[in-house]
Parts: sequence; structure tokens; C-alpha cells
Amino acid sequence: MKQPFLIWAKSRLINIPRIFIAAAAWTVCLPLCAARATEKIAVFPNAAYDACIIYQNLAIFWFFIIGLIVIIGMKLKEIDRIQKLGIDRDDENAPRLD
Amino acid sequence: MSYPRLKNWLDERYDLTDVKKFAKSKLIPEHRYDLLYYTGGITLFLFVLQFITGMLLAMYYVPHIDHAYESIIEIVTKINLGWFFRSLHHWGAQLTILFLFIHLFGTLLVKAYRKPREMVWITGFILLIISIFFGLSGYLLLWDERAFAAVRVATGGAGALPVFGGFIKAFLRGGMDVTGDTIVRFYAFHVSILPLLSLLMIGLHVLLVQYHGVSVPRSEIKDPQPTVPFFPNVFYKDMIIWLIVLGVVVTLAVLAPPEIGIKADPLAPPPANIKPEWYFLMVLETLKLFPGTIFGLNGETIAIICVVVGISFLFLIPFFDRKANRGEESTVFTVIAVIYVVYFVVMTAVGFLS
Repeated sequence: MKQPFLIWAKSRLINIPRIFIAAAAWTVCLPLCAARATEKIAVFPNAAYDACIIYQNLAIFWFFIIGLIVIIGMKLKEIDRIQKLGIDRDDENAPRLD
Repeated sequence: MSYPRLKNWLDERYDLTDVKKFAKSKLIPEHRYDLLYYTGGITLFLFVLQFITGMLLAMYYVPHIDHAYESIIEIVTKINLGWFFRSLHHWGAQLTILFLFIHLFGTLLVKAYRKPREMVWITGFILLIISIFFGLSGYLLLWDERAFAAVRVATGGAGALPVFGGFIKAFLRGGMDVTGDTIVRFYAFHVSILPLLSLLMIGLHVLLVQYHGVSVPRSEIKDPQPTVPFFPNVFYKDMIIWLIVLGVVVTLAVLAPPEIGIKADPLAPPPANIKPEWYFLMVLETLKLFPGTIFGLNGETIAIICVVVGISFLFLIPFFDRKANRGEESTVFTVIAVIYVVYFVVMTAVGFLS
């Protein structure tokens, strides 16, 4: 009869040989990954705070762009309406005040 | 918005009546393919963006073999928003060339090059070549191993051309190999010679478009032709599209800043799976199609000659397509145009995925 501890250890959740292999791999791979990471040059601010500020500014930037597009679109609609009415053209026969 | 004092100041000194009249009378034809008109405006906007970001980067870049790479790292890591402007310059360049290709292929498919707009096509084509050379010269300035290997391959390919190949290669490299002299040479091209040439060509291209007016595809010619005033209707639409493009470039610059590789070492072997910029992939994949020798002749030389002939044919297409010039339907040239577009897209995709 198997020991309760061994049954528990051999369960899918906590498997001692797997943990041992993972720990060994982690110990070997981590310094290698770190060495590789040092080769890469940071082309974007590393600090989480800076990254957060940048993404926030990107969202604000898009907010202004969409706002401007809406304003220009409204202006364009108004121009179309005026042109359809034909009141944008100069009346050459209009009396002059001077 | 109205500035009466500024208006008066200008009116007292300059007679702008003709300019105002021209702006008011300029009409843009409306048809099914008029979206193509805006690709030209987008390219112009991106050129301006490139000039501005390029000027900012030039303040900190050092075109010297010992300092070029280090100065870019300094721009990216130490200068305020340096990473952002470098990224913006990089993505601006990619999109400029992308929109130039879209504009060129669109013009080719609707045959906007036909009489009397041959010179509009020629100036536009020269602008594309200048922009590609802008890309190549800018790519080397980074001086990392990938840029070094890519420029070595590209200039070496030019050297495979018969008669002039050796001269072109030596002229581009400033010597026998890609060295510190090449950086100085490419920097001079990138910041002075090419900007001057492109300004001249942009001016000429825009002037010719104003002179001839915007082309209407043959199938879309109507009597009377529906038109829309350039100012303010098309101008406002242009502004909306420019804002969207600016948003896209900024987003790409923030979310995908370009990587910097290891510093170039002329004595080190080239890195594995080296690829040039996407707009050279078509040429690279074409070169791969040819065997080493063909009837005892160098296969690379024949491949380069084929590419040059293909590009030259496209460059001179307005002078070959006589039917389109007479206002007749020219199915053969429509098929040729489709082949060019499909070949470019397929070969670029193959190069990208392989």
C-alpha cells in the first residue's frame, strides 16, 4: 500500500521530480536569459511609472485627434450645407455700401 | 477665424488676388477611385514629418565609425524623448515608402500617367527611388550588425551590374568595403543631398499636378465631370486623413519602437537569416530565383540586369502605352500593371515569411 505522502507527491498539482527539474532549469536558464537580456538595448523607458505616463499620454493624444476630427467633420458638413443652398457664392449685383 | 490686421498688412504689400482666385477655383474631380488622390497628400505629410524628426535626430547623431552606434544609444536612452523621435522617424519612413508604393501602383492601375501627365509620373517615380535610397542610407547610420550586413549585400548587388557596377559600388561605399567612410558618405546623402533632391522633386511634382490638374480615370470620365472645390472641402478631408495618419505613426512609435542590435563588426560573420528592409525583399527574392550560372554567365549579373530592365520599363511606361495616350482602352498595359502589383506584393510577402 502506498504512503499517503507519496500519493500526494505524485498528484498532478505537486510533482516532486517535475519541481526538481523546473528548479534546475530555472537555476541554469535564468543567468543565461539575464546575460542575453543585457545585450538588448532599452528602446523604451524601463520604469513602469514612465511606461504608464506614456500610455496615458497616448490615450490623451488619441482623444484630441478624435475630437479634432469630429470638429473638422462638423465644419465640413456645414460647408456642404451652405454650398447646397448656394449662399457661399458672391453676388456680383449686390449693392455696395461705399 | 479672421485676422483683419494681418489681412490688411499683407494686402498693402502683396497682391494676392490671383492666389486667392486660384485657391477658390481649384476643383478636384469626384469619382469611384478618388481615394487615390489622398495617398499623394498623405505622402507629402509624411515627408514633412520625416524632415522635422530627422532635423531633431541630426542634432545628436555623430557620423563617425567609433561614435555612430554610441550616439544612437545615447539618443534612445539619455536624451529626453529621444527614443520617441527615433521611433517616429523609423515608422514615418516605413509609412512614407508604403504610401509611395500605394500611390504609384494606384496611378499605374488607373493610368493617370497618360498624356499630358508623363512628367508627373516621371517626377513621382524619381521621388520613390530617392525615398528608397533615403531608407538605405538611413538604415546604415544605425551601424549595427544587421544594418551593416544589409548595406553590404545591397551595395554588393549594385556591383554585379555590368560596366558601371564596380563604379557604383565604389561610389556608394566610398572604398572597396563598407567602412567608416561609407557612414560619412551615407550621412551626407541622407541629410543634405537627398533632402535637397527630394525638395526639388516634390516642388516640381506638385507644380505639375497644379498645372495639369488631377487626372480622371478613362472609365470615370463624364460630361459634365462632377467636381468638388479643393478649398475648403478637399483641404478639410486632407486634414482629417493627416490627423489619422499622425495618430497611427505615433501609436506605432510608442507601441513598437525599433530594436537596436549589436554594434557592427566588419570582421565578424553576418548574422543568420539576415533580411533587408521590406521594400528590398522583392529584389532579394527575385535574385534567389536565378541559378548561379546561366549559359556560362554569372546568374547574379543576369538577375540584376532583369530587375533593372523591369524597373526601367515601369519608369518609361507612359511612353510605351500609346493607346492610353490616345485616350483608347489599353488592356495589355492594364494586365502588365496588375502583374507588376501582384509580383511585388507576392515576392515581398514570400521574403517576409521565409
